[in-house]
Amino acid sequence: MLKRLLLVRGSELAMFTLLAVLPLFVTSSYALGLLTLLAIYGILLIGLDVTVGYLGQVNLAQAAFLGLGGYAAGIGVIRLGLGVPMAIVLATLVCTVIGALLALPALRLEGPQFALATLSFTALTTMVLNEWEHLTLGAQGLPVPRPPLLGFALTSREFYWLCMLLLALVWMAMRNLLSSQWGRAFEALRDSPIATDAMGVGTYRHKVAGFALGSGLGGLAGALYAFNFQYLQPTVFVYELTVILLLGVVLGGRKSLWGAVVGAALVALLPNLLSNKFLFQAFSAAGLAVALFAGIRGMTSRRLRAFQAFSPIVATATLLGGSLLVKNTEDWRKAIFALMLFSVVVGLPEGLMGFATSFLARLFRVEPPPLPAPSSLDAVLPARPAGTGDALEIRDLKRWFGGVKAVDGLTIRVKAGSVHGLIGPNGSGKSTVVNVVSGLYTPTEGTMLLGGKALPVGSLFAAARAGVARTFQNLQLFSGMTALENVMVALRGVYRVPLPLVLLGFARREERRAQADALALLAFVGLGDQARKPAKDLTYGAQRFLEIARALARRPEVLILDEPAAGLAHPDVVKQVEIIRKIHQRGITIILIEHHMDVVTELCDVVTALDGGKLIAEGTPAEVKRHPKVVEAYLGSDAPGDPDTHPLAPEPAGG
Amino acid sequence: MKALLAAFLCVLAVPALAADTIKLALTGPYSGGSAPMGTSTRDGSKLAIAEINAAGGIDVGGKKMKIEIVERDDEAKNERGALIAQELASMSDLSGVIGSVNTGVVMAGDKYLQEKGIGKIICPAAGSASMTQWANKAGPPPVEGPKTLSIFRFAAHDGIQGAMVVEEAIRLGLKKVAIFFDSTNYGVSGRDDLQNQIKLQGNKLEVVALEKWNIGDKDMTAQLLKAKAAGAQAILIWGIGPELAAIANGKAKVGYNVPLIGGWTLSMSNYIDNAGANGNGALMPQTFIEEKGISPKIDKFISDYHAAYKVERIPSPVSAAQGYDAVLIFAEAVKQAKSTDPKAITAALEDLKTPVKGIIATWNKPYTKWDPSNFETHEAFRRAQVVMGKVQDGRVVFANPADRDRLKAQAAK
Amino acid sequence: MPGSIIAQMAVSGALMGLVYALIAYGFQLTYATSKSLNFGQGELVMVSAFFSLTLINLGLPYLLVIPGGLLFGALLGLAVERTGVRLALEQKSEGWILLTIIIGLFLFSFAENIWGRDDRPFPTPIPSTPVHVLGVDVTWLEISVLVGVLAVMGLIELFKRRTLLGKAVEAVAADRDAAELMGISATRTVVLSYALSGGVAALAGILVSPITTVGPTMAASFVLKAFSVAVVAGLESGFGVVLIGLFLGALESLASFYIGSGWREAPGLLLLILALAVRPTGVFGKAVIRKV
Repeated sequence: MLKRLLLVRGSELAMFTLLAVLPLFVTSSYALGLLTLLAIYGILLIGLDVTVGYLGQVNLAQAAFLGLGGYAAGIGVIRLGLGVPMAIVLATLVCTVIGALLALPALRLEGPQFALATLSFTALTTMVLNEWEHLTLGAQGLPVPRPPLLGFALTSREFYWLCMLLLALVWMAMRNLLSSQWGRAFEALRDSPIATDAMGVGTYRHKVAGFALGSGLGGLAGALYAFNFQYLQPTVFVYELTVILLLGVVLGGRKSLWGAVVGAALVALLPNLLSNKFLFQAFSAAGLAVALFAGIRGMTSRRLRAFQAFSPIVATATLLGGSLLVKNTEDWRKAIFALMLFSVVVGLPEGLMGFATSFLARLFRVEPPPLPAPSSLDAVLPARPAGTGDALEIRDLKRWFGGVKAVDGLTIRVKAGSVHGLIGPNGSGKSTVVNVVSGLYTPTEGTMLLGGKALPVGSLFAAARAGVARTFQNLQLFSGMTALENVMVALRGVYRVPLPLVLLGFARREERRAQADALALLAFVGLGDQARKPAKDLTYGAQRFLEIARALARRPEVLILDEPAAGLAHPDVVKQVEIIRKIHQRGITIILIEHHMDVVTELCDVVTALDGGKLIAEGTPAEVKRHPKVVEAYLGSDAPGDPDTHPLAPEPAGG
Repeated sequence: MKALLAAFLCVLAVPALAADTIKLALTGPYSGGSAPMGTSTRDGSKLAIAEINAAGGIDVGGKKMKIEIVERDDEAKNERGALIAQELASMSDLSGVIGSVNTGVVMAGDKYLQEKGIGKIICPAAGSASMTQWANKAGPPPVEGPKTLSIFRFAAHDGIQGAMVVEEAIRLGLKKVAIFFDSTNYGVSGRDDLQNQIKLQGNKLEVVALEKWNIGDKDMTAQLLKAKAAGAQAILIWGIGPELAAIANGKAKVGYNVPLIGGWTLSMSNYIDNAGANGNGALMPQTFIEEKGISPKIDKFISDYHAAYKVERIPSPVSAAQGYDAVLIFAEAVKQAKSTDPKAITAALEDLKTPVKGIIATWNKPYTKWDPSNFETHEAFRRAQVVMGKVQDGRVVFANPADRDRLKAQAAK
Repeated sequence: MPGSIIAQMAVSGALMGLVYALIAYGFQLTYATSKSLNFGQGELVMVSAFFSLTLINLGLPYLLVIPGGLLFGALLGLAVERTGVRLALEQKSEGWILLTIIIGLFLFSFAENIWGRDDRPFPTPIPSTPVHVLGVDVTWLEISVLVGVLAVMGLIELFKRRTLLGKAVEAVAADRDAAELMGISATRTVVLSYALSGGVAALAGILVSPITTVGPTMAASFVLKAFSVAVVAGLESGFGVVLIGLFLGALESLASFYIGSGWREAPGLLLLILALAVRPTGVFGKAVIRKV
């Protein structure tokens, strides 16, 4: 505990102390200018890292927010007579709001489309700043005064301290945010957006909030930028800058505050590094040495592909060779930047700081803080009284895909507290029913009632909020997160602290509570001793159990288990049956889709059999199994095997 | 990491070792769209510096000192400009700065040089704001400029150029004109200067179309058709190279045969080459015309430039000539100050005793003591040093042969 | 305003729009097979144009310069695929976005230093004199753009439909996994599509250079619009790009006339953001079904 505090917090404290006292020794206004720029870019890149790192989207709009923030602050000072603090607040707010407005359409997109939407936004922003001459003075540029702060004129040194202070505050706020449910939600939605929605976390709203937050930080940096340079011009905030910023984040290391600040240092200092030829040659030589070392090690340990090992060596060697050949290295700045980035992106995909931290973490093994004692299960998953009515009612449900009638007029009533089986051969429409109920698909026709109330349709998130929880036939775990975190993401009713307080660090208590609750659920499915293990390192069986624990964290009205025994070895099937039975005993309604007929027979109170999207039989397991239509459906022309004893091959997704 | 960073900053902050040289910084856009102006200035300056150094250097209080060049590319970016100015301002042994093309770069950076009193000669260009920012402003609220200023301009400022363009249009007997400008600082302030001059010269011209384009636009049909439909008899134009050529070519396409009259950038090689035959006849104010036979000094400069940089034509002759003359003026100031101290040099610049024989003109007291109510005290160029040039078959020639004879006569004196 | 002027502007804009469409088509070619595209495509256009200019300056006849330039573009496309795309595709990551941006940055700097930073004319035997067609002035150069764009797109579509190799490309585009099961190497079709895309970029450079001149920044504005065209049309839609390209080009011209020349690009950008928001798969694209 002490060691952890010393190493992690200690290094942060050391960096900020150093940065704070540096101007007392370095008097050159040039060095001070660079340091100020470092602080401003630090804030900017931390903001950019929210989308690029945590949301995993290539964001090309950050330069635009830098500009918008700068102009908001400048115009605030000139037109509204604001002081420095209010101008900074105004810039941050303006960019947060515009960021949210842009995110609403743009974040419905992914990958290249999102990148293009943000790129267009940048172009549009430049155009508006250029054309709105009345307010921005257009291409002429806007000189921005730096008003005194609380009556004191800010010299460049004091202004630097102001920037550093804000960087430190942003750093701390982001740390608080990322170690809260928000941080987990970001991580989760990158791993599996579908599961994130299905766990009621709301991929879209978290993405929008994350983007707005990052944009707000861009605005904050913009305000400081305006007060630092005291002159703004629309042509500064264009594609080229946005690319440099993006590459700074990647170079420093995504998903890391350290990475963002190191990236900022590189972006701010690099052009100056290049004007000193000797320093540059030393750097290239060091880069080549690292590339050689990492490449040879990676090749011998077979962790890297040949391309990954060799191309950084070639790139850094070109850099060194070029620095000896080329007369004026400044002319080649962009090429040099490109080669450095290429080596890092290919050879160290985690960035410089990602590489350094994983290296340091191996060097000093830091224990994570101990976990709290598990909560009592009754508090986390209260047993329900035996229900009487219907938990879920599906009436005349239809879902067509073009001409294919996957579900065609289906009516099912699921009794509260029962285990309701859903069987049928491949392509019979079981998965489609599950996907419609859980909100992945919008029904073509029909109604669904959950506990008598209409169930929201067409949104995984809304259905999850209404009380439907599900597991997935093809596992959708948050594979990079630990078992504990997987469950914590889904917990319902624990996270109540609003965002501003989270940023200030007031979420720690509910965080402990969440850990305790999640531990109780892990213990319930027999994973209490594997809480710290990353989900991807668990055995296949344990992963299936974990998905159930995660779904239970929703305290669902209806729990849908989509082939929970698929692919499990026999001992795990036995364990799985035991887990489901325990859930049943706590009074939770379960819909079970399963091909293992013995599992169905053992667990289900009622079974519905489907074929061709229609109900063909319903009753107790024994009745349904003997039903002639069911026998025909399974043993008909193309279904090999005996449904009583053999698990059939899993259905193709979406069937 | 932190240790590295600190070491890094120290290296950056330590000034180069003082030596027996005069350190002169050359800055400007050596890459990007305005690079032809930046590089031509730099190369012209280097020619002058090479000549001075070859002759043993400048006599500084009885000691011959050579000029050492500190070269920085601002890439036409304000932020780079600000950082470079900060870097230059923190050098303890820098004697002066020559350079800059882009107004934004000047606006973002010059204040650091002014704070330290380091003399800067803005050359070859920069919009009006680069000087007016130091002058008194009427307000409200009225703002007083600084009492001393170390920033000088060595360029035919937009006021002179705008006046000449409007004069020329009136002289040609035109009534209706279109104003075309690019969306940069340069273009927009050119638009303002032109409109201002039309008013000053008695509103004899009617502006029937006010059209803009962005850097990189290549299809100007819409703007040209609008001007054509409004019946403009000439296009007064303010912009940079390649897009000017696109307009000349577009004019030919839509069959709109009116003269282009504009800023000195119409003399840049990227306009002349890219417009080809369509570019002929464009008129623009020039401080220098790359034509031999006016004086031996000019002939030598032109051949030296061609030989040193292996070109057949100077990319921006105006910039090269101004860069050359600016160095001569700076050298004379150092000699008079008998010191490499920037403040002494600045003081000498404001009161040069000996006329400097340059290739553009003989500079007799180019600058005087700074007066914030009259920024012309730090402007070297007057109307007399500027002539009208015309594009003719891939070269810029004198639009009025009389100017040629006048310059010849002056050089002979 | 007389109709002839409006027609003239729409036609001029639309012909430029064809260049956007051609570059956009290059995006589609690679997106179809690999779900990736080259964010540095503009640099491919520019470097190929510079290379072709060098060939012209070496005295090669124009008819040989075209295949030379195309071949060079195709080789560049191959290089981009090998260095920037393949690794990311193997890792199923979106690293290609960054890597192609980085390669673009490198090519830009390379061109600046090898060929200079200035814009240069691109001589061609095609005259730039205008001709009257239905009351509208069009230059022969613009007609060459029209012919070149349609010809190359037609040839590539024919290739995809009529040859075995082309059908393999179509198969991978339709269903990568199924195509691999049928013994088609997806990697090879991706390589092929990048080569074609590089060739298309080079052609765009050769066609447009006589009109716009050649310089390091020549393609920057084209590419942003080509992105818009590709995305608005749908990244997998084939000839849709031609329609959207013509439309966007004409729209830009008219916007600059009616709203003001500074706002020229606004409609295209707004169109892009809106199209993405309303129909992320594009006007001519097919809707996708999420699967679990």
